[in-house]
Amino acid sequence: MLEIKDLHVNVDGKEILKGITLSVGTGEVHAIMGPNGSGKSTLSYVLSGREGYEITKGEILYKGKDLRAMEIEERAAAGLFLAFQYPIEIPGVTTMTFLKTALNAQRKARGEEELDAVKFLRLVREKAGPLNVSEDMLKRPLNVGFSGGEKKRAEILQMALLEPSLAVLDETDSGLDIDALKVVSDGVNALRSPDRSMIVITHYQRLLNHIVPDKVHVLSAGRIVRTGGKELAHELEETGYADIVEA
Amino acid sequence: MTASIEEQYLEAFSALAPQGDPAWLLARRRMARDIFAAAGFPHRRVEAWRYTDLRRALAKEGYVPAQRYDGPLAYDVETVGPGAAAFGDVERHMLVCVNGFFRPDLSSADLPDGVSIKPLSEAVKETGFEDFLTTDDNLHPVNALNSALMQDGLVIRVEAGKDAGKPLHMVHVTTSAGASAAHMRHVIALEEDAKLCLLETHLGQGGAGYLANHVTETHLGEGAALTHIKLQDEAKDALHVAANNLRLAANAKYYGFVLALGARLSRHETDAVFKGEGAHADMHGALALRGKQLGDISTYVDHAVPGCSSNAHVKSVLDEEATGVFQGRVLVAKDAQKTDGRQLSNALLLSRDAGMNAKPELEIYADDVQCAHGSTIGELDGTALFYLRSRGIDEATARSLLIRAFLDEVLETIPLDGVKQDIGSQIDVWFRASALAGSETR
Repeated sequence: MLEIKDLHVNVDGKEILKGITLSVGTGEVHAIMGPNGSGKSTLSYVLSGREGYEITKGEILYKGKDLRAMEIEERAAAGLFLAFQYPIEIPGVTTMTFLKTALNAQRKARGEEELDAVKFLRLVREKAGPLNVSEDMLKRPLNVGFSGGEKKRAEILQMALLEPSLAVLDETDSGLDIDALKVVSDGVNALRSPDRSMIVITHYQRLLNHIVPDKVHVLSAGRIVRTGGKELAHELEETGYADIVEA
Repeated sequence: MTASIEEQYLEAFSALAPQGDPAWLLARRRMARDIFAAAGFPHRRVEAWRYTDLRRALAKEGYVPAQRYDGPLAYDVETVGPGAAAFGDVERHMLVCVNGFFRPDLSSADLPDGVSIKPLSEAVKETGFEDFLTTDDNLHPVNALNSALMQDGLVIRVEAGKDAGKPLHMVHVTTSAGASAAHMRHVIALEEDAKLCLLETHLGQGGAGYLANHVTETHLGEGAALTHIKLQDEAKDALHVAANNLRLAANAKYYGFVLALGARLSRHETDAVFKGEGAHADMHGALALRGKQLGDISTYVDHAVPGCSSNAHVKSVLDEEATGVFQGRVLVAKDAQKTDGRQLSNALLLSRDAGMNAKPELEIYADDVQCAHGSTIGELDGTALFYLRSRGIDEATARSLLIRAFLDEVLETIPLDGVKQDIGSQIDVWFRASALAGSETR
């Protein structure tokens, strides 16, 4: 699904990622852990194509294609999804309008038929229910006045609707209490499938109790310093990052 | 010595000797002409026109009087203008003016009970009509020019207690391709507790460089309510200079909204005076401009009496080398306690070469008032754009969503749903044209 080879990335002229190599197979869930400032969010933005992240060396292949050659929206239509650490508030655009515009834009880009209002509404209701996303939230401007938990649930709803092949979840657990964490991770687990890969970026191990990864990578100062199975997360929880980073 | 542009202008219009003007009007025209000749067209050293140099914009062309045109129009004004449909789905009465003259043959005849409409040329013959023409020619040289040269216009009156119901839609069309000028004077007079919704569109063809000058005298009686929504979509080289002189009696309500899309240079000025307590005026607007267009929305509010409120909120979207202007002053007289006066300008610059000049001012002599003024100038939020694109929405659509979102706050104030939607779709049409122009030059 995703092949990253010796990826170097500069932000504002400063090298943040210093040679990342990572392979995520179809249906696999990988966790990327690491202390603050290690480059976790940079990796997620590079994958989604955000401006200001300059690839100086290396390559990223997504479904065998060079990701760098694709526009932000092309990557989305090709099934790449980033759940934001801090979802953006957009006053004046209702959540419903946004969801419909996004879904139909992707369907159109893939040469599929756009959904009419009735079909779309049915689909949204079906997906929103289990995530506790109320009708009221759908009518409000996107993320405006949403609580931290509501914003994260809205992100997962977008993911459920857009049905990506590769989902990157950037610190999805940040700002969530234990109940909200449960709702969000249940939502994510419901989307696990043999056709869908996920990269779960997190500082803490607690999210990985709910979303159990196939592999765990530790990122430090722009490099992957360790890779292991799900037990690596538990080890980190006990020892902290210091030992591993220094090792 | 060569003649000044003012002398040339007056000379070109000297043949316009309206037949049958009453004595008071002839006297007023003479006085106004002298005021204009002395003051000249406003330019950037005149504070109220500091950012909108009309004199310079006019200097290029030798203007001649607009000619009355009685023939058929190339399009159906009820549904489609040269640009796009305007209020086509709103049930309304049509009032059509072509080249500065009222065209009853193109207008609705079945007016609601209690509503009367006359062309200015007839209304001036009525006794006491001069009391409606309260514009002070001394204060505004363009209004003086209008008083000197006005030929036609619409005089709309609504009787006490009557609700006009369906909106009246004034359509101003210019068919001339050259540098013609029309000076129209309108009167909107609502007696006590009367209600009216007035829509206005201004259209021209192609690159015509005409001047459309409108002065509207609006008199709202006690408890009267006027909703006044204007779409300015003049030809791209035209000049559009409109002044709305608003007088509000006690408990009168005015809601005004203007969307300016057209013209090389345009100004929509509202001068509101509160004459009785408890009155309220909204004077909102939006500019959506590109190329080298300049658009000016200015509001001057005189809180002469206590207990009135006014609110002016202008949002500007400026692309390429366009310039937006908002000037505003809220004057609160010494005894005008409990005044609530607000002015806000927000501008969104879509290009590095676009510019906005905003100068909201407060002049307060009372001590128990709530007044606020503010101005912001920004660009599209790159993070929001990225967020939308990361969900598969293409860049042009994402930009238009964010622009609509920016304008939404003022569009939402429009009290009629059909009109609101139409104003919104005009902006979408504007944006698509802008996006197309952009992709050609990139």
